[in-house]
Amino acid sequence: MPSNRPITPSSLSVKDLPWQIHWNKDKCTLCGSCTAVCPVNAIELGVFRKRIVETELGINSSSSSVFKVYHGVRQKTDPAYSCIGCAMCSQVCPNDAISPIKSDEAGKLAFHINRGGQPRRRGGRRNVPGGLLDQIKFIRISMLTDPALDAGRHEFELRTLLGRVLPPEESIAHFKSNGWIPPVREIYPLIIGSMSFGALSPPMWEGLQMGVAYLNEEINMPVRMCTGEGGCPPRLLRSRFLQYVILQIASGYFGWDEIIHAIPKMKVDPCAIEIKYGQGAKPGDGGLLMWNKVNKLIAAIRGVPTGVSLPSPPTHQTQYSIEESVAKMIQSMSMAWGFRVPVYPKISATSTALAVLNNLTRNSYAAGLAIDGEDGGTGAAYDISMNSMGHPIATNIRDSYLNLVALGKQNEIPLFAGGGVGKSGNLAANAAALIMLGASGVQIGKYIMQAAAGCLGSETDRCNICNIGLCPKGITSQDPRIYRRLNAEEVAQRVVDVYLSFDTELKKIVAPLGRSTSLPIGMSDALGINDFNVSERLNIKYVV
Amino acid sequence: MDSEFYTIAGQENGNRLESRILEEKIQQAVEAGHRALKIEALGQHGIGGRLWKAGDDPVHVRIEGNAGQRTGSLGYPNTFIEVMGPVSDDVGWLNAGAEIVVHGNAGNGLANAMAQGKVYVAGNTGSRGMTMTKSNPRFAPPEVWVLGSVGDYFGEFMAGGISVICGVNAQNPDDVLGYRPLVGMVGGKVFFRGPHGGFSQTDAKLIPISDEDWQWLTENLAVYLDRIQRSDLLEILTVREEWQLITARAPHEKGLVQRRSMTSFYKKVWEKELGLGGLIGDLTNLDRSPIPLIPTGEMRRFVPVWANRKYKAPCEAACPSGIPVHDRWRLIREGRVDEAVDLALAYTPFPATICGYLCPNPCMQACTRQINEMIPVDTSQIGKASIKAGVPELPELSGKRIAVIGSGPAGLSIAWQLRLKGHEAVIYDRSKILGGKISSLIPESRIPKEVLTSELERIRKVISHVNLQQGLEKEDLECLKNDFDFIVLATGAQKPRTLPLPGKELLMTANDFLGAARTDDVRPGNRVVVIGAGNVGCDVATEAHRLGAKELTLIDVQKPTAFGKERDEAEAVGAVFRWPCFTKEITKQGVVLDSGEVLAADTVVISIGDVPDLDFLPESIKTDRGFVRVSEIFQTSDPHIFAVGDMVRPGLLTDAIGAGRKTATAICEIIDGKRPLMDLPAGRSRFDPKNVDPKNVDPDNIDLATSEYYGIHENVWDTREAIDKARVSLEYFDPRITEFEDPEQCGSQCASCGSCRDCGICVSICPQAAISREPKSGVDYEYVVNADKCIGCGFCAGACPCGVWELVANEPIGL
Repeated sequence: MPSNRPITPSSLSVKDLPWQIHWNKDKCTLCGSCTAVCPVNAIELGVFRKRIVETELGINSSSSSVFKVYHGVRQKTDPAYSCIGCAMCSQVCPNDAISPIKSDEAGKLAFHINRGGQPRRRGGRRNVPGGLLDQIKFIRISMLTDPALDAGRHEFELRTLLGRVLPPEESIAHFKSNGWIPPVREIYPLIIGSMSFGALSPPMWEGLQMGVAYLNEEINMPVRMCTGEGGCPPRLLRSRFLQYVILQIASGYFGWDEIIHAIPKMKVDPCAIEIKYGQGAKPGDGGLLMWNKVNKLIAAIRGVPTGVSLPSPPTHQTQYSIEESVAKMIQSMSMAWGFRVPVYPKISATSTALAVLNNLTRNSYAAGLAIDGEDGGTGAAYDISMNSMGHPIATNIRDSYLNLVALGKQNEIPLFAGGGVGKSGNLAANAAALIMLGASGVQIGKYIMQAAAGCLGSETDRCNICNIGLCPKGITSQDPRIYRRLNAEEVAQRVVDVYLSFDTELKKIVAPLGRSTSLPIGMSDALGINDFNVSERLNIKYVV
Repeated sequence: MDSEFYTIAGQENGNRLESRILEEKIQQAVEAGHRALKIEALGQHGIGGRLWKAGDDPVHVRIEGNAGQRTGSLGYPNTFIEVMGPVSDDVGWLNAGAEIVVHGNAGNGLANAMAQGKVYVAGNTGSRGMTMTKSNPRFAPPEVWVLGSVGDYFGEFMAGGISVICGVNAQNPDDVLGYRPLVGMVGGKVFFRGPHGGFSQTDAKLIPISDEDWQWLTENLAVYLDRIQRSDLLEILTVREEWQLITARAPHEKGLVQRRSMTSFYKKVWEKELGLGGLIGDLTNLDRSPIPLIPTGEMRRFVPVWANRKYKAPCEAACPSGIPVHDRWRLIREGRVDEAVDLALAYTPFPATICGYLCPNPCMQACTRQINEMIPVDTSQIGKASIKAGVPELPELSGKRIAVIGSGPAGLSIAWQLRLKGHEAVIYDRSKILGGKISSLIPESRIPKEVLTSELERIRKVISHVNLQQGLEKEDLECLKNDFDFIVLATGAQKPRTLPLPGKELLMTANDFLGAARTDDVRPGNRVVVIGAGNVGCDVATEAHRLGAKELTLIDVQKPTAFGKERDEAEAVGAVFRWPCFTKEITKQGVVLDSGEVLAADTVVISIGDVPDLDFLPESIKTDRGFVRVSEIFQTSDPHIFAVGDMVRPGLLTDAIGAGRKTATAICEIIDGKRPLMDLPAGRSRFDPKNVDPKNVDPDNIDLATSEYYGIHENVWDTREAIDKARVSLEYFDPRITEFEDPEQCGSQCASCGSCRDCGICVSICPQAAISREPKSGVDYEYVVNADKCIGCGFCAGACPCGVWELVANEPIGL
């Protein structure tokens, strides 16, 4: 790199970048693996000129100035090629000679990644480590007051209900009059949230589905997974595994004509239909699958030609109010399967959630409400949407639950919480906290990508390139050269491991509560936090 | 028999004794020496335990009535307890050695935490029996015998001991082990007889009953049946095949929960339901099998390409004459000095005069070395050496004849090029000598006479038909059109521009001054003011000084555009540049400015450029603002007439040379029946406006020969772009060179941007040994990549001094 070059306003030095490549010349064997694997070409072979001035002690003979050339790994400083910190270089380095190090100060890159006036977009996460859910403690350890259970020995029914539960008198009346009784599914409370085939690579999506099927059929855990918007492979639609699948319909309606064509051939009904109105990561914004990701496979599943961009509008275009949404979408989707399949909307957490919920409570076709908090992940979103828009999940789910309690309907319409569940690794604790705040179940996305496929995101703006198809682990890429790094069977096995260990951890939390036959939904007397204001806001105990 | 027993009643005066009181009475009785006690129990807690006061003496405790909870708890090895009916919960709790016989059913928690001793139950038991029992190696393991079935959660956390469940008159004949038995079992054995509903497979396993086990079971069964007085059952219960044995899994077996492997699930469940290839086997036939992180061949993300000469070197791209300067240095490096010198003749008839002396050398201004603070390779050295270039070989004449009007650099260039391609070019010029302004106006201080003379002689040998001293009129052009296939106008700009100022008659034009100066026919005064501070103005100043002037002032309305050698020399002789100065009037005193200031002058020279004299052009040739209007190929509105040089647009000498070459190319193509710019050589694409920076081009005037137009035009003929200088690795070169000693050193320090130096560094750096040098015919060669070895690391591209290697994305898969 010429030292005496003109600079532009966006000329950055390595020091200015958020991730700095530390390269050890002594250890490097110049094998080329790091530059070959780097997803964003942030590093390259550099030619370096080194000058050595040789002067004898005592200056008895004349000194000399010698230049030597050596080759090494150099980090690019062009913002377009800035290191993303994924550390794939470290992963492949045979000599541990290279790794990205997070800058010790705020990076300057953020001020410059808007070339051509295009604000930064990224995939991944909000990049705010920790959070409220991690601070909540489970303070009720029953021991003698309730029969304390042992997570290892006792049998637990860690299941939840997805679907509208009528009040007993209504239920009996319907039953007696052969009236319609809303469909209800008894499912595992940890749901793999909506990630589309397209956002995820083929082995990732298949691996998740396979793991879910294994959990259901080999371990008897009724785990469910939502397809996300982007259709569902025809074979899955026509298989018995469909009963483990929650089909999502979103504002782009991609893949739904294929689903309609498959309905007459379905062996089983899907678990449920999720109508996506919003997602936590980018509230109020639609999805976009770029044209270059729409290859033959994606096009076939989504029922579109190849090579066209697939934008989803921010809203369902023919709906202008909650009432209309409920009336139209929920009924339409219920009709598709003869009212045998629960249908529920998913919204991003918002200060308007109660308005939605109150409307749903008045509509017996509404099978539940899923709320996705601000910490939700995404395949692609503007920075501004991810960083600054949205509502924390804890208060939103709490307010919604307490609202149901006030209506006396807390056992009738289940709430599902998502968005950052387990983002620091505390999956069971976060899930249990949300359940005790009032959720009937939780949805996970990023956690399963990390745990089942080794996603490198870490709430420190590491990697976060899900949106450009270069996922170093092959999770969010449609390029076989990248996604073949991932093995569907291994993903499936990890899904199984994750669920089994989660199950044990959840039991470790609920066993001391003396709960074994029903989830402690809304059992907020078991929760405490050492922040008085939060305790007041969430109506849980203040403990110090 | 009863008389042998010391009886302790559980009630006094019709009142039930507290457990504490009964315990005191029992302990006192033992202390008093009683060794057989009959307890008439009324549900008191823990009867029969803790009788260690008797030491090793056996103590027999018979419990009649209602035995309470924890009968025999903390039992001592000396104790034998007989419960004559059923017993409540936790019988034998934490038993440390007592033998307890229950002649009825037992409640929940049977033998919980029992460590030694025996519990014989003659009936069924409640839930959580045999839980947390252990076995201390110092003692015999505890035993629990049950005649019927056990309740739910039997054997939880069982860590040792032996349990025998006989299944006789079982409360639950379908499941003698109850619901979820043996969860957390880590030790001990469970013999049972009868059906079971499953047990914790993670903790326990069924094993065959060995002969040793069977022998133990039958022997102790006899004892047990004797104790519960049911020896009649011995025969029924000693049918070996009716018995099963469960033992704890060893720690190393526990992790190994036998689950179906995912591979098996995929093959036998997943594919069976979905079809071959799983979820999307019907939608794609792409190979989806896993690959490693650093693949070779088709699975590489990037592929290196030896893009030799794909891009122009910056020097070549910057040269308006299009001379591949770097190629000349290559020939020098290869010791082919003559070829290096001669190469330029294909591009210019003035390789020495212009490249060596008169050209500001845009090639050097563009030299990549400068981005690393190194001096540019000195083109003028090879330029000066080109005086030795011989006369090129000339092809036979084709019979096509072209008239070229004007013998300046543009006219000579086109005539030279046409002759090199076999066409006859006839020069028409009014001047006595060839060369236009080079010969007539440029001071000898800037171009040695012998160099110019020598090159003009070389030109004469090529362009043999020269008609001198011909004036040209409109009608002459019509005649020429009849005599020649094409006419090229290259009369330059000879009409000096002047200003309509009062006193303008006192001005001398720069051309007149310089022309006279060449023959020393002018004597300037002491004080000379030059209006117009361009390079020609500088020449005036320099010549004026040579001819005796003392005070030299150059004025301009804007920042002087003079640069390079001309300006350096003018400044060296003390010329003062002043701007902005607006001239109001010329007087005998000198130049009067708008500000009123008078710049005293004995001689005032105006040097604000020349314009073409277009009076001789017929109406059919369109002009635009004083210049001839031409198309992309320098064709005028008369298709047989072309125009180049300063009459189209003022420019550098090298601009004129380049324009001449391009026009000659166009004419040759027309002669060959091709459409210039349409029938491009293979591999060259047509001019595409998208490739042109729109900032620099006025789209409405794209036909016009603007100075930017040369750049576009270059693109038309040779669509290669200049190489990105960042691709070149200058670190290989010595940064401390401040001046080049000779052309050889120039050649050695040229990075050969975009063209292979054949240094082989790529072969050395490739970690996979994937690159090799393949000789081709003659001295030709290429570097090739073995795809099966290459990992696409780009090291070749990074290390290449010339920036030849480039890393491109591999062909997409599955689109």
